[in-house]
Amino acid sequence: MTRDEMLKGYKTMLLIRHLEQRLVDYYLKNKVMSFVHFYVGQEAVAAGVCHALTADDKVFGNHRSHGHYLAKGGDPVAMVAELLGRKTGCCHGKGGSMHMIDKSVNFMGSTPILGSVVPIATGSALADKLSQNKNVTVAFFGDGASEEGVVSESINLAALFRLRLLLVIENNLYSVMSKLKDRRAENHNTEGLVTGLGAKYIKADGNSYIDVYEKAKQALGFIADGIPVVLECIVYRHMAHSAPLFDDKAGYREIDVLAERERQCPIRKLRALLSADLMPEQALDEIEASIRESCNQAVEQACAAPYPEAGEIFTDVYA
Amino acid sequence: MSTHNNLSYTDAIKESMLRSMELDDNIFIVGLGVSYPNGADGTTKGLKERFADRVFDTPVSEAAVTGAAVGAAIRGKHPVVHHGRVEFALLAMDSILTQAAKWNYMFGGDNPVPIVFRIAVGRQWGNGPQHTQALYSLFGAVPGLKVVVPSTPRQAKGLLNSALKDKNPVVYLEPRWLYGTRQNVSADHYFDELAKARIVKSGTDVTIVSYGDGVMDVLKADQFLRENNINAEVIDLVSLQPMDHETIARSVKKTGRLVTFDTTHGCFCVGSEIIAKVCQSDFCALKAAPVSIACPNVPCPTSTALTDHFYPTKNDIIRSVYVLFGRPAIDLGRLSFEELHLSPKFEFSDAV
Repeated sequence: MTRDEMLKGYKTMLLIRHLEQRLVDYYLKNKVMSFVHFYVGQEAVAAGVCHALTADDKVFGNHRSHGHYLAKGGDPVAMVAELLGRKTGCCHGKGGSMHMIDKSVNFMGSTPILGSVVPIATGSALADKLSQNKNVTVAFFGDGASEEGVVSESINLAALFRLRLLLVIENNLYSVMSKLKDRRAENHNTEGLVTGLGAKYIKADGNSYIDVYEKAKQALGFIADGIPVVLECIVYRHMAHSAPLFDDKAGYREIDVLAERERQCPIRKLRALLSADLMPEQALDEIEASIRESCNQAVEQACAAPYPEAGEIFTDVYA
Repeated sequence: MSTHNNLSYTDAIKESMLRSMELDDNIFIVGLGVSYPNGADGTTKGLKERFADRVFDTPVSEAAVTGAAVGAAIRGKHPVVHHGRVEFALLAMDSILTQAAKWNYMFGGDNPVPIVFRIAVGRQWGNGPQHTQALYSLFGAVPGLKVVVPSTPRQAKGLLNSALKDKNPVVYLEPRWLYGTRQNVSADHYFDELAKARIVKSGTDVTIVSYGDGVMDVLKADQFLRENNINAEVIDLVSLQPMDHETIARSVKKTGRLVTFDTTHGCFCVGSEIIAKVCQSDFCALKAAPVSIACPNVPCPTSTALTDHFYPTKNDIIRSVYVLFGRPAIDLGRLSFEELHLSPKFEFSDAV
């Protein structure tokens, strides 16, 4: 991977990390009443997959989709404004954190009832097939969601209809706080399930931007030949399931303890590679400072935006 | 204007499907067996031959198929999802109630989901507890959906035409009891309003509100009442969500008496909702306590010896209206086995 390609990933991951970090502070100090699921630690998956796509490719997300939205190019100010319930939010205050959307960059919407997003993305790919479009549709969802029956049904449909569909499982090891081993038989085999349904299975190191990017590119090759792909990225969720807090004391983490998370941090790892490529430390620091500043500005702008009018509760029930 | 004489409810749906698909390339239909020679109870017969790429028989994956149709609608197609029984649609409720119904609202507008969920509901001889539910109130309870129940062949065509032009998710509930009913239907491609109740017959003495297959029973009862000097106003709700409470309120203000007729369970039924709204908005207009007629609060049994007592009939309507007017009870006899248990070949007049 070239230095410019690495830098692109580095900047996107920093944007996601710092904007969420800024929101953590804000959430803890203020009464923000939008349920939130932070993406900290998983940035390489969103950045790696989205950077492998073309601008025309469509992306759908889930309850934990700040990263997917930002990596696809979604407007950071509209995202923060939505979390803060403002009129200028990407859903005008009606969605909140779990409903990111920016159709101008083909981020088509995130919907938080887990596996729900998978048939919807399948239908998006079906629409493109019927219209003879060449673009791909991507759905991001978690290891918990992948256990829902509708996911298997959708893979079968996508393989049957030869749809241009990339399903990205972000396996962060837990469904809320439930471990994989408490939810799956010892000989559970995701690859066997996926390939048995007629799709292709690829596994990536979700803590590595380069690996995710390269595996996503590989997946797009199969998809161009009419074979839908499930890309499973093994990744660490640094924070609690749905709070702006770390939860190491909750006692359920085994592999992904704090020290290991820090060691595997995708941003830190990519920065090390950039340094090894003789990128000056000062330049890397400057990039980070500039992104941090732009995140501060996004939060400031969002905070200055007005709330929706009371009457807006009644608008948009129907299109 | 040319007319199809005595068109069946089934053929009225088929005609709307065919013509709508001719007019709009974005329309496609998915569902179990929709490509069969007599697919979807005959309502998709011949569609596959006409539109080979837009009629999809699907795997038995109700949740994924329905969700995929919602996804295609989000991307600008206009899918029709057919569920031959509401019990199978229940496997896809996330896509209908949580995804399609909320999508435009939760993203702050400008996110239409143009889709029609065609779901067959209700009574059919011998089908028992798990093949005859209607669940009207379930769909009616969800804002963001438009929910219609066509009561005649003419409505079946006009409402489906409108549903296939609408930008929103429309749940089109087909009482299978009506498939064999007939009516003269215009050959034009006409549109009936989705969210508006209609006064099927105006009257002055009592308001009788029903929808779907119940309207036919109310019309039968009305004939008897007319012959016995009671002039009922018959309202077909047409739409369960949103519900046209204004039309009902105006009628009750005029008649002072209200009877509701559901062909499904009386608990949480549509009649209960109507009565609640009328009592809240204009209690003083009522000259007598309103009456809700519905099925008993038990699952639908299978034996005809039991279903004899399950579905309410025109006689129940007549008896209730007589009570409202303080008239003595009359012996109406028993309905024939055919009328109680076999799907009707009823012919709706041009007036309704």
